[in-house]
Amino acid sequence: MSKTSVKRFLALYFLILFGAIFLRVDYFPLSWVPMYGYREIGPQLTVKFGDKSGRKRGFFAQRANGETLYISAEDLNVPNANFRRLYHQRAYNNAPPQDDRERVALMSFNRWWYETFVGPDPRLNKNYSGQLLDSVNQTFGYGPSDPRRIARLEASLDFATYDREHLDIGDLSRPKIERRTAIITETGSFLKRGDRVAPMSTGMASKAGEVE
Amino acid sequence: MTDIAARRRSWVDWFFFDWHPAEALGAVRFYFGIGLAIYLNIQFNQNLTLDPFGAHFHFTRPIWYFWALGIDTNVPWLPFLVMPLLMAACLFFAFGKWTKPAIIVIILCIFYMKGVRDSFSGDVHHREVPIFAILILFFFSKCDRMFGIDARKKGWAPIEDWESSWPLRAMQIYIAMFYFWALVAKVRLSGLAWFHGGGRIQDVLISRAVRDGFTPTGEVVNLSLGWELAQNPHAIFWIGVLVFLFELFFPLILFVRDWRIKLAMLAGASVFHFSNYLLMNVQFYFYPFVFVTFFNMAEFHRWLKGKVRLRRAAPAEA
Repeated sequence: MSKTSVKRFLALYFLILFGAIFLRVDYFPLSWVPMYGYREIGPQLTVKFGDKSGRKRGFFAQRANGETLYISAEDLNVPNANFRRLYHQRAYNNAPPQDDRERVALMSFNRWWYETFVGPDPRLNKNYSGQLLDSVNQTFGYGPSDPRRIARLEASLDFATYDREHLDIGDLSRPKIERRTAIITETGSFLKRGDRVAPMSTGMASKAGEVE
Repeated sequence: MTDIAARRRSWVDWFFFDWHPAEALGAVRFYFGIGLAIYLNIQFNQNLTLDPFGAHFHFTRPIWYFWALGIDTNVPWLPFLVMPLLMAACLFFAFGKWTKPAIIVIILCIFYMKGVRDSFSGDVHHREVPIFAILILFFFSKCDRMFGIDARKKGWAPIEDWESSWPLRAMQIYIAMFYFWALVAKVRLSGLAWFHGGGRIQDVLISRAVRDGFTPTGEVVNLSLGWELAQNPHAIFWIGVLVFLFELFFPLILFVRDWRIKLAMLAGASVFHFSNYLLMNVQFYFYPFVFVTFFNMAEFHRWLKGKVRLRRAAPAEA
């Protein structure tokens, strides 16, 4: 390549790579580098207290024929880090970070091209928990009329809520802890909080005070 | 040609073509290739923790190119074939044997291994993005013409300085700007809310520290350092300020020629990555291997060989 060709190549190279930053493209191999960049402050911060042994045992599951079992990372043959995300996030209908931030604070031009070429905002019709149930059944090769199919999945975790005023002085000793159970069925997903069971949110919800 | 056009051309020439000697590119390729093998092994080894003859997991959210190609299921034995191929390609690339085909193999293997890793649960990581950008530059450069097996065996003529300089300078721009764009993204997404109180850093420190739970004595199972730091929001605030300044000013390294100043700046960046790993388990800790692109690694290679020779000679003399 001559020097002129190199300059043309570099112009194209940076036009594509840095153009993706202007357009907020985050599809590998292009990225506008938004990792850990999204934060909505709320008066509280809610985090999930993991339970390694509980997670190792896996999802509590029920087959369509009524049999109960546990489904672990080994059963599904997925890496532990991914299983943690399935258990802590997708089961609770929480999106992967890129879905949560993709359409946040977009310029109108960026919004136009996203909605024209990519589709609607993924936060508008969330069905991550339903996708998880489908994945489990397809992994085991259970069809929709198979009596062995998994008809119900459950994941339970302690959710800890810290008041912002305590966080601001570094006091992590007084969280409010609540046991929440994600219940995923063929007819929909539900969240059990204490004795109350309510359908999970499928629409756009504020991420204020939440961190994965 | 006008004066303005001539000045502009000379500035571009100065920036891209007058920075590194011819020998630097091949030596950078060698050290980058060795580092790449280690880095990619760290990134993808979780695909090798699976039972090769176990269940074929149906991905919950396939990455976009898997979705486009209709790949929706993991074939668990396949990474056990792809990974050795990837490692071999990295070594061929490093040692300058079939260099360009090796780059293509590396890129294809990265796409596959990354696709598998990120499609299980749909979280797309960014740790291969700069690697791809750098490999593209190696591919279109004359990185195979020096400091390699093919160059020696085929007796290729040395390249000119400017042919070595531009790909290295372009790599440096991408690496340096990656930090700057991360700062821009924070501001675009969250504004100054990112820094408010303990900031996003405190939120992540807490969530990462507790995600594996607590021991019977009440200690966090993992990341105890992060948990301790999360209880000190003033220290976190100043760390946030440091991150802000680091990401804002890091591109200045593009105008530094003195290797000692560059080394100091890159050591700072390395501390940033190691800290992210120790405090938050962010798996970018081996990423600083890309900083070899900022140096004339041929000089370093000669220095290293000299040291090794001296060490070998010392016992003989004794």
